[in-house]
Amino acid sequence: MPLSEILFWFLTALALFSALMVVFSDNPIHSVLWLIMVFFAISGHYILMNAQFLAIVNLIVYAGAIMVLFLFVIMLMNMNTDAEPQKSQWMRIAAAVSGGALLLILVAALKDNAGAVSRTSGEGSIGLIRNLGKVLFTDYVLPFEISSVLFLSAMVGAVVLGKREKNSKPVNH
Amino acid sequence: MNSILVSVLWGILLMYAGFLTKNKRSISVLAVVGAVAVLSANALEYMGLSFFDIDTKGMLFYNPYSYIFLVVIHASLLLYFLLSGTEVEETAATPSDHYALIFFVASGISIIAGFKSLLMLFLGIEIISIPLYVLAGSDKSNLKSNEAALKYFLMGAFSTGLMLMGIAFLYGDSGTFYLEGINMGATEMSPLKAIGGVLILASMAFKVSAAPFHFWTPDVYDGSPTVFTSFMATIVKSAAFFAFIKLFEGAFGKIQGQWQVLLAVITALTLIVGNITAVFQQSVKRMLSYSSIAQAGFMVMGIFAMNLMAKQGLVLYFAAYSVASIAIFAVLAKLKDHSVDAFNGFAKAHPLVAAVVLICLLSLAGVPLTAGFFAKYYMLVAVLKNGTMYWLPVLAIVCAAVSVYYYFRVIQAMYFKETEAGSVAEIQFSSSFKVIMVVCALLIIGLGIHPDWLMDLL
Repeated sequence: MPLSEILFWFLTALALFSALMVVFSDNPIHSVLWLIMVFFAISGHYILMNAQFLAIVNLIVYAGAIMVLFLFVIMLMNMNTDAEPQKSQWMRIAAAVSGGALLLILVAALKDNAGAVSRTSGEGSIGLIRNLGKVLFTDYVLPFEISSVLFLSAMVGAVVLGKREKNSKPVNH
Repeated sequence: MNSILVSVLWGILLMYAGFLTKNKRSISVLAVVGAVAVLSANALEYMGLSFFDIDTKGMLFYNPYSYIFLVVIHASLLLYFLLSGTEVEETAATPSDHYALIFFVASGISIIAGFKSLLMLFLGIEIISIPLYVLAGSDKSNLKSNEAALKYFLMGAFSTGLMLMGIAFLYGDSGTFYLEGINMGATEMSPLKAIGGVLILASMAFKVSAAPFHFWTPDVYDGSPTVFTSFMATIVKSAAFFAFIKLFEGAFGKIQGQWQVLLAVITALTLIVGNITAVFQQSVKRMLSYSSIAQAGFMVMGIFAMNLMAKQGLVLYFAAYSVASIAIFAVLAKLKDHSVDAFNGFAKAHPLVAAVVLICLLSLAGVPLTAGFFAKYYMLVAVLKNGTMYWLPVLAIVCAAVSVYYYFRVIQAMYFKETEAGSVAEIQFSSSFKVIMVVCALLIIGLGIHPDWLMDLL
């Protein structure tokens, strides 16, 4: 068994195990830490597929920024078992059935398209930063530029919401 | 393309105008000028004068249909600014920023009007959505506004996630983001395409508030400041519908038979839920939210039918629905109380404005000689021409009859009930407001008598 294949199976097992632990661990902080593990395992997969840029971005954005946000939110909300809202039995059954149905359909669809999604690892150079930059600034330059409007409006929105109004009293917590 | 550029630049200009002047009135004037500029920039491009010519790699393409749609949107935007400008000044702490956000939304709508690639669809939808979350929550001291913003944001983010997942599946199936590539050669659904299509359908149905994805609509429309509800429920909803029909025609046009049943169910649910629930509402604002769901039901019929008549009729529907709703919301924003009783004795105190509101309500109900009648008529005929599911038009007509009840409750309050404390008499309508209201009424009646003025352009 070549090294890359061993790595592939190791990362796959790690990702699946960590993902399960995210769901099953009682402490939300532990869930978040396991989720970071999932992201690292997936980044490893990206590197195996020769997509270094995606791997690094995945780490910086997800395992870095978004996870810190998650941790802050969980700590601010002070979540524990008492504060957990009680879900009715029917709600749980309905959620499990609909989620299971979606899973079934997704698995069936992927199984039918097994040929289309198989990719040998370590080949192709589309994921290299050099090629990505080229594509981004030639073929996809218009969406790239237009996304600046999206970020601008998000920034303006954040300022509008965050600015304290002159006549309003400060909110006490 | 012109209108994207002009609306973005004008949004940035308005942002900086907030530093230069503290006079709210002049910022509103600037916004009106901006709406005229965007409208004329788009009209110029329609007549063949493009400000610049760039290679979009086929990601954006505008045909006369998109241009006329944009004309309708920009004209509605202009009417909206003219009628509700004073309310924006009062509601918003910094109207310049809020106007900037509205112009960014306008640029998103211009992108939506011409997208040929799912990438642009996603960008356009997001540029429309994110400013709206902020506008919904702009009344920061009001808890209901906060709730509206949070609900809208969470649900909207979730539906965006669904859309992205759908796009990913479609990309996995066809290997391209282009609509033609997705549509090409596919006479039957592959499983991946089916999943992607259903996910995108769910997220688009959410954006246009079609049942069973409508649950956010009443709370968000009711909780947001009335001025911004007006903007969300009319202009933005029309844009979402345009994206919806463009996407389904472009990417799934060849397999219409396979998703038609799904859309028929959505249409029927939307019509029934919207109309029946609207009957029981005591607040006019909430009633209008449910009525906007009911009107969405009629518009989904156009997507169900997806023929020439449906496409033309949808733009007429946008015009009829937007103009009428903007006028009613503009009056509603001036009232402090949003219950039906707040309209008691309105006709005696303000006969002219009441007459315009009457015409708008009649148009929403679909009474002949108003634009709403022809809009509904085109939708029904489009479905009949489609040749399947004849029960759908029948259901739609029954629901339209139900809708007459709740629209006439407001009319009844205005004309046949006496006011108690004289609260309506205290409201002042400026003469310019009245003039614009009359223009709205004339537009509605004009399109109701001569829908071909708009239809011939398409």
